[in-house]
Amino acid sequence: MRTAIVSGIVTALIVVVLILGRGDVFGPNSYVVIGVSQGAVYGLIALGLVLVYKGSRVFNFAQGEFGTIAAFIVFLLTEQWNTALPYFVAMLIAIVAVILLGIVMERLIVRPLLNAPRINLLVATIAFALFAVAVELVLFLPEPKVFSPFVTSLPGIPETGLEILGFTLEPQRFLIVFLLAVLGGVLGYFFSRTDLGLAVLATSQDAFATRVVGIGVERMSRFIWASAAGLGAIAGILYIPLTGALTPGHLTFSVLIPAFTAAVIGGMTSLPGAFVGGIIIGCVQSLSNWAANAWHLGSQTYQEILPGTSDVVLLVLLLVVLLARPQGLLGSEA
Amino acid sequence: MSLLEVTDLKAGYGTLPVLGGISFEIEEGETAVLLGLNGAGKTTTILTLAGMLKPWSGTITFDGKDITGTDPRKLVADGIVLVPEGRHVFPQLTVAQNLRLGAWPYKRDRKGTREIVERAVEYFPRLRERWTQLGGTLSGGEQQMLAIARGLMARPKLLLIDESSLGLSPVLTQTVFEVVDKINDDGVTVFMVEQNAGVLSIADKAYVMEKGTLIYSGKGDEIMNNEEIREAYLGA
Repeated sequence: MRTAIVSGIVTALIVVVLILGRGDVFGPNSYVVIGVSQGAVYGLIALGLVLVYKGSRVFNFAQGEFGTIAAFIVFLLTEQWNTALPYFVAMLIAIVAVILLGIVMERLIVRPLLNAPRINLLVATIAFALFAVAVELVLFLPEPKVFSPFVTSLPGIPETGLEILGFTLEPQRFLIVFLLAVLGGVLGYFFSRTDLGLAVLATSQDAFATRVVGIGVERMSRFIWASAAGLGAIAGILYIPLTGALTPGHLTFSVLIPAFTAAVIGGMTSLPGAFVGGIIIGCVQSLSNWAANAWHLGSQTYQEILPGTSDVVLLVLLLVVLLARPQGLLGSEA
Repeated sequence: MSLLEVTDLKAGYGTLPVLGGISFEIEEGETAVLLGLNGAGKTTTILTLAGMLKPWSGTITFDGKDITGTDPRKLVADGIVLVPEGRHVFPQLTVAQNLRLGAWPYKRDRKGTREIVERAVEYFPRLRERWTQLGGTLSGGEQQMLAIARGLMARPKLLLIDESSLGLSPVLTQTVFEVVDKINDDGVTVFMVEQNAGVLSIADKAYVMEKGTLIYSGKGDEIMNNEEIREAYLGA
């Protein structure tokens, strides 16, 4: 049933894309390629949101900031301080640092509020996100920091891009899609085959029973927040070079809402759902962007009449899903 | 020396006292039951023994060791395992995964765990038929079986079973009691909290609780034949 719904929607999307797209489907910057790679980033953030939601029953407003902070750390290491560190080392340092930040946040903010009403924790995550944005503003000022793609060449892939099924993927976008696919596989294995993964799922299903079987609930909570922070960091580091510029709070303002929509479409509690949701959102956004620029109403394009058409489309989609299928595509509860 | 010794145990929720200082013992190898009406403090007692609830005062010794106020994480590894009231199986995990998590303290001992799975499934053959089904889709009786089997996975010395008959048909209740008796015969000490006096047929020792104090203790069949107790406290 679920697989039927998902494959149905994916097929429909592909058909729509092919009909509408014609010449714009393929090529290095076709909206399909942009949509999928952008969607991969949404999927990563959505995954973090779902993980925390399952584990701590709260929507984590700070999820985007994990990504922004990681990107700023990379910027510090590679541009500002001009250390001679290779890019990948800087990325690794940023990811580890943000994971540590996630652990600290869990200990100082989440743990003390474990038994408080969920709204307290929700507000606390908002406070954390705003605080992080404020610190970034003080340290880095509001001017955008220019970020160039961190990979211009990958072994075995031409700089102009790799052709797969007629699509051309630039190295940067190829890396993102590739990493998401790998992460998807790893996480899928982790949550269905390992004791630790099962314990995380157990925590989200019945905290009482989790204690009964002798699992340390605090340890699980720490692990969940650390993983969410790590996923956020990876998303941020991959995303910023795509946009080319980094500003304080970047992912909170540009990625959190699409990622939330992705998580909702996926069902808020489904990890595969968050993945699929992310890709769908990325494609819808990119497709509507293209349509808004290509289609005319009179002499003006839709984009000229209504700037930010794609954001409107996204929010409408979110509303429709919430009204028609609040449990999402793969979710088990509303 | 008894396997478990409880001395002057007081416990409650928030500022509400429930247990007013109870003392009792469980000998190694026996099946002890605690009977009483709703609200008597039976579940509070068993949750405190399992470490899920911190006692206010008093001591609990297990195997000669003071375990008062110890975290369930430690207690499960020591061999005190709870089968909670209401089953609390993991609804979105399969039967196999539920059992796997039951063996959490022994997660590195794959081989030993496989052997215990075999034994658990011998007690409850129904679980094998449901192997890949999600815990939440099982019937109440099957969930109870899964909850007990999950408890066995942690290799208990003392198995604490809270209200296993709740919501089960008389026939299923009887089946569950019989399997618990078999588990006990195989060397696991059992402490059961029950409202169903039928459990007395498998009990070596029984306590009756009212308003947070133990008002009677004796051999299982003694209570069974005591009209006064049966009418006043067991509703049978």
